[in-house]
Amino acid sequence: MPKKLRFLILALGTLAAASVSAEAGGSLLIKNGTLLTVTRGVLVKADILVVDGLIRKIGPSLDAPPGLPVVDVSGKYVIPGIIDSHTHIALDGTNEGSEAITPEADVGRVVNADDVSILTALSGGVTMVHTMHGSANPIGGPNVVLKMKWGRPSEELVVPQAWKTLKFALGENVKQSNRTIQIGGPPPRYPQTRMGTNAVIRREFLRAKDYLAEWERYEKLRTSNNPPPTLVPPRKDLRLEVLADVLRGRMVARCHAYVAPETLEFLLLSKELGFKVACFEHAWEAYKIVDALAEANIGISVFADSWAYKMEAAEGIAYNAGYCAKNGVLVSINSDSGERIRRLFNEAAKTMKYGGLGEDEALALITINPAIQLGVDKIVGSLEIGKQADIAVFTGHPMSAYARCDMTIIEGDVYFDRDRLVREREEAVQISPAGKRGGLR
Amino acid sequence: MRRFRPHLVLALAGIVIASAAAEGADVGPTYALINLKVVPVSGPILEKGTIIVRDGLVEAVGPAGKITIPEDAEIVDGEGLTAYPGLISAHTNLFLEEAASPARPQSPAEFAAAVAPPSPPDQPGHEVFDQLKPKKASIDGFLKAGITTVLVAPGRGIFQGQSVLLNLNGEEAGPMVVRNPVALHLNFTTARGSYPSSLMGTIAYIRQKFYDAVHGATVRAVYAKNLKGMKRPAYDPFAMALVPFVRDKRPVVFQCNNREEIKRALTIIEEFKLNGWLSHANEAWREADLLKKTKLPLLVTLDARPPRSSLYVNQGEELRKKAEAEIYPANAANLAKSGVPFALTSLGLADGPAFLKAVQAAIKAGLSREDALRALTIRPAEYLGVAAELGTLEAGKIANIVLAKGDLFDEKTEIVQVFVDGVPAKF
Repeated sequence: MPKKLRFLILALGTLAAASVSAEAGGSLLIKNGTLLTVTRGVLVKADILVVDGLIRKIGPSLDAPPGLPVVDVSGKYVIPGIIDSHTHIALDGTNEGSEAITPEADVGRVVNADDVSILTALSGGVTMVHTMHGSANPIGGPNVVLKMKWGRPSEELVVPQAWKTLKFALGENVKQSNRTIQIGGPPPRYPQTRMGTNAVIRREFLRAKDYLAEWERYEKLRTSNNPPPTLVPPRKDLRLEVLADVLRGRMVARCHAYVAPETLEFLLLSKELGFKVACFEHAWEAYKIVDALAEANIGISVFADSWAYKMEAAEGIAYNAGYCAKNGVLVSINSDSGERIRRLFNEAAKTMKYGGLGEDEALALITINPAIQLGVDKIVGSLEIGKQADIAVFTGHPMSAYARCDMTIIEGDVYFDRDRLVREREEAVQISPAGKRGGLR
Repeated sequence: MRRFRPHLVLALAGIVIASAAAEGADVGPTYALINLKVVPVSGPILEKGTIIVRDGLVEAVGPAGKITIPEDAEIVDGEGLTAYPGLISAHTNLFLEEAASPARPQSPAEFAAAVAPPSPPDQPGHEVFDQLKPKKASIDGFLKAGITTVLVAPGRGIFQGQSVLLNLNGEEAGPMVVRNPVALHLNFTTARGSYPSSLMGTIAYIRQKFYDAVHGATVRAVYAKNLKGMKRPAYDPFAMALVPFVRDKRPVVFQCNNREEIKRALTIIEEFKLNGWLSHANEAWREADLLKKTKLPLLVTLDARPPRSSLYVNQGEELRKKAEAEIYPANAANLAKSGVPFALTSLGLADGPAFLKAVQAAIKAGLSREDALRALTIRPAEYLGVAAELGTLEAGKIANIVLAKGDLFDEKTEIVQVFVDGVPAKF
């Protein structure tokens, strides 16, 4: 458990990072809140006892063991930490766009724990993100699930229990249809069409199958009674290793797909080749193929609105998320951005107006649903005894446009405390030279 | 039977006369440096000492009176001066000519070249020695700062090539060489316009190349035992150039431009069991605990400019400047406090004066003068495997000697004379 910040920058002023606090040491009592548990209904004036990072007790009038920090949240709403199923923050790279097929380009190896977007995310109650390779090529790279432990070293952010996921992408980004062609600029990259995209993905998986077979042959000979003296191992190919892991079921696909036909084609491809698709990204036309998605048990991770920003989003509708959720598809609302991430609760609330979801259903789109999509619903996504204490405290119901996140807790440690942050920032301004000149106000 | 050869004797006499006339020839005359304060680094300071320099080496060093001054020695009276071993900067990009920036493009073809400048392909077998263009001005700058020995590494690409260790004894590359090649240098950068164009692509690329080297070595070992009856393996020059590093554990230097890159390098070093060294590392203090455990050679630059990824860079110029002036100069002091051994380098610093300023800043930020001196003498000599020849003032070692008026790292100190390979340098 983190006991103190290794990297405190209060003395420098302006930076909000100074407000990071992990002094609770993973144990605290949250008192008198309205608990939106997501999976166990609403508890009014209830407490949560957190010990060593886990939720140990939920109920009215819990006693704190002596010395345990108590946070009184009277009049406030307490929800499980918000989970963003699709974003690109906290990375030192987004796209390996130089080639069409780059599954070796693992963004989990370029986590940047200094990205201020982590603090931005915390300020909106976000405790976990699925931060992804971009959509520049048909097969991008592996993604990574992180907790927003601002101030902690990068390796402590990674969530080892989450599924291993690989980014795929279809449509306009992949076929580079929105690229301005420059005279003498880089030559167009294959594929330039949707059918080409499907074909190149299929081709690579067939190569991966050959690769697996080659290694199997080698292992069989190596472990035989009389291995030939000239036996040598096949070349280890990091690109094909990752695809082989997808075929072995050790990784699941997350596929950026806008229009209905390409989405269905990818679904067919996954059945033919035998790999699992966890979720379609953006999926603006999911409402057209809702039965197929529900039957295949594949979720979608989408924006609430803001469609028609490019041709393939032209038939997007604000009812997409709500309609799909009501028809058996596991829906999450994502940010895809280091800014929208601080108001995912506002985004989720839009599905109440468009789609008619209830408060709990809308809240599920940013808590338990993304947790299921990432394979972490056993440990986070709701307020339940035994789960990790990833918790956000709001001034009002988070589906209200007037609500604001006041405190964000991860595994029992307070990583964002709005009052303290504002106070420290004001103090820092007082002592900084720019503040004295009035430059930072 | 011996024959008298007068023409040979005459020729030899001519050489002797010529070398006596021309200062700075490779075989130096004999010097006796007397009345000096001597800081040998290897032992206690001599308040009044004598150093005898003969034929490029330190012949003797000791307290005045205990050292006999040879008759043929030229006397250098060092009254008021302090002698130090020549400083070693264990990572520089000196003497490399950068490609000139292209003229404004005129034709479509030129435009194309300007849009996507082709990155030179990585060549791990490339020896930087082949491209050295020593320049007197930069040599003088370093000598004036007390630096007599530099590791010159190539500065472009991901697998950048192999470095050379030089004594700054003149303007010709050949006679300068102390060791060549020294190490393979890697940088976490990207290839513009081609693969790998992202950092995660770069990491995959590095790992794939090392895997190919391991594979190539394995296949060739099997082939060597089965020359008859086995098809000869394909020749991959890239992989073959890397074999000495994965198989024979020759050193591989990773340039770590921020905290995360230290960890990324360590992961790769561990994966391939490399003889890994870490360089740049001006955020090393943030991973002091880890570095204390790994005990790898650590070449810390005195360049205090925060990396692009730094929090301080993205929050406005005022904060960036403050970080450069107050936080990053304390890197070395923090490492010393945490018990992490390190060498200091001038990597990224423009010239000798910038180097001296940076050392002073590190000392002001809490680094002891003793630690600074060790990190620029014996520690890099040990890392580089030249501690028998360089890094201290001891009999038998190369006579790289700095004579300063005052403490070497004081702001007002003047470096009045520098011996490189036993020859007084002119600057």
